Amino acid sequence: MVWNIIKKQGLLFLRNPQELLLLLALPMILITILSTALGGLINGGSSPISINVAFIEHGDEQREVEKFLRDIEEQLPPQAVEEVRANIEQMLPITIIKESIFGNEEISEFIEVDYLNVSKREDVLNNDEYTTLIEVPENFTYDTLTNLVFDSGKVPSLILMQNEGQQVGTGVINNLLTQFQEQLTLGEFLGKNQIDMDNLQLTSDVKGEIVTINEQEPVSSKAYYTLGMVLMNVLFLAGAIGSYAFHEKQIHVFDRIMIANVSRWSYFIGVLLSGTIFAFIQCLIIFGFSRVVFGVTWPDLTAFFLITLAFSLSVGGIAVLLVAISYRINTETITNFFTSIIVTLFAVLGGSFAPIGDYSKVIQFLGNLTPNGASMTAYLTILRGEELLKIGNEILYLIGFAAAAVVIAVLCFPKRRLSQ
Amino acid sequence: MIELVNLTKEYKNVKAVKNLSMFIERGEIVGLLGPNGAGKSTAISMLSSLVEPTSGDVRFENSSIIKNPSKFRKIVGIVPQEIALYEDLTAEENLHFFGRIYHLRGAKLKQKVEEVLEQIGLSDRRKDVVKKFSGGMKRRLNIGVAMLHDPEMIIMDEPTVGIDPQSRNYILETVKRLNEERNMTVLYTSHYMEEVEFLCDRIYIMDKGDLIASGTKEEIKKILSSENTIAIKADRFNKEFLDALQNHPSVNRITIGEREVLIIVPRAVNMFSEVIKIAEEYGIELVSVDNKAPTLEDVFLHLTGRALRD
Repeated sequence: MVWNIIKKQGLLFLRNPQELLLLLALPMILITILSTALGGLINGGSSPISINVAFIEHGDEQREVEKFLRDIEEQLPPQAVEEVRANIEQMLPITIIKESIFGNEEISEFIEVDYLNVSKREDVLNNDEYTTLIEVPENFTYDTLTNLVFDSGKVPSLILMQNEGQQVGTGVINNLLTQFQEQLTLGEFLGKNQIDMDNLQLTSDVKGEIVTINEQEPVSSKAYYTLGMVLMNVLFLAGAIGSYAFHEKQIHVFDRIMIANVSRWSYFIGVLLSGTIFAFIQCLIIFGFSRVVFGVTWPDLTAFFLITLAFSLSVGGIAVLLVAISYRINTETITNFFTSIIVTLFAVLGGSFAPIGDYSKVIQFLGNLTPNGASMTAYLTILRGEELLKIGNEILYLIGFAAAAVVIAVLCFPKRRLSQ
Repeated sequence: MIELVNLTKEYKNVKAVKNLSMFIERGEIVGLLGPNGAGKSTAISMLSSLVEPTSGDVRFENSSIIKNPSKFRKIVGIVPQEIALYEDLTAEENLHFFGRIYHLRGAKLKQKVEEVLEQIGLSDRRKDVVKKFSGGMKRRLNIGVAMLHDPEMIIMDEPTVGIDPQSRNYILETVKRLNEERNMTVLYTSHYMEEVEFLCDRIYIMDKGDLIASGTKEEIKKILSSENTIAIKADRFNKEFLDALQNHPSVNRITIGEREVLIIVPRAVNMFSEVIKIAEEYGIELVSVDNKAPTLEDVFLHLTGRALRD
């Protein structure tokens, strides 16, 4: 009986080219468009963000250093002055910012710094292209050095003007400057407590296991959007099966099935397996397309098939739930609501359009509650070269999701209809 | 074989069926007659164990179908009013699907599919998808599906709605043949009087959820034994003529058609000369005036004051 329901569903799909086109061709087209248009978001090839920084100095660091050295000659013994003079290059805050931070090769790939004259300040403030304006007040270096050597308590500040429209960029600049400040504070602390930098560096030579973290395989945009589109579009299959089943009720085919003494369990299992098998086939066809056209391959085929099967099972569960609810409320509204609203919501939360790793923990948590989101996490884990054991939670979650959907479906299926 | 005992079905504000009691003997063709909305389909849904009644019971061989539908479901075939078929599947695929849900398989399933296709006259169209069929062919297949598991009883809910006269005739002949050759019990609902008259041994008439008459054709027609139906035919009628008939003290009811007017009058009254006189008075050239044998349609008109297809 169950096989009969699956076979019938397969024939109905095959005889409906429009439905097939939506379920198979649409995701293929979307993968092509999205991976080309939004590739930069995923690939290392181009930067996901571009930050323009304007840097304006109101003073002159070199002159302030010379003034500082002249002043300390009157306050410190000659030996101490010589020591400061010898190390002064490592204590210059503006030089450190310019060379160590913004001059860093990796940082300079996505942060462009314009060193401008004070006269350009107004222009910068009126230019939306700048992420941040960093202003160095007069005597900043002098005050910094004085505070470092004499602990004067006069802590100088940089002035940061941030573009509210570029929150990601301003966050990056804030982080960089905070790190710089921490480094400076550490240097000051070590200096005051007369701790030799060389001694401190010894700690890194302690023998032990070296664990490399985050050394993962990169995920290409084509692979990412293949996943995104497969996981989103396969959800539509649950809607399609729900729709077919409700039509069966409307034309009284379901009555015929019930009168033939078919239990509702057999019917549910038929719908569940139809959803699972056709979702699995749909996944394989689109992944196959992606393999042939874009060369998206899987490092661990066992894990790949396991995730695909678990995800397909959850789609089957959704199909059963949609059938039960639409039978209960005697309208197709729930299926339409699912395909028009829920799938889109799941797709956004599950990361089908953009990685959700950049969002808040709450969004990530919600995303992983969706079957497509959990599957996305599992697929990405495998694509990054992790082992099968790492996706255990996601697989169990997907199986649990399907089981919960079937139980809810059984509970909400209308009871007033007589059954055997 | 089957007995409906005080069967009632209430929906929110409507009593679809009110205290319906009827019985069906093995090998009978029983007609359930009534206009749209009379409660026939609801009664059939309760009888076929698909809808739970608000009160009352349906008994099959001394056990309740409501409590234990399984036994009855094995011996009954249902032909719903709707085309309960997969339009995107072929006739053969549909029969295979429904045969399998009745646990037919292998050679037996194949043989039954062949047999049914032959019976409903669709052997040469077996590979065509149902959506390409005419209304009549779909109706025939709809019946065929209900016959796959050799049911002892078949319940047909308006199986000829919206089809051409040839297909209708084919279906009626098929039902008659099934009854005669296989002693199949048939419950046939319709709002076409002539179908019920042609097929059924006994008839139940429903209106607005109530059972308003029951018995054999002859018994029901005897309801009209005190009245005659006179059919008046003419190329055209005018308002004055119709008003005069309508207001005549001996005319109990009148049904006005384009070229035919039916009047129901007491049997004791000789209305022929009266009709001719009124026609002459209002300038109507009569084609014929006949005493018409009572039909079930007349009975329904008599009982409810409405035509069946109103």
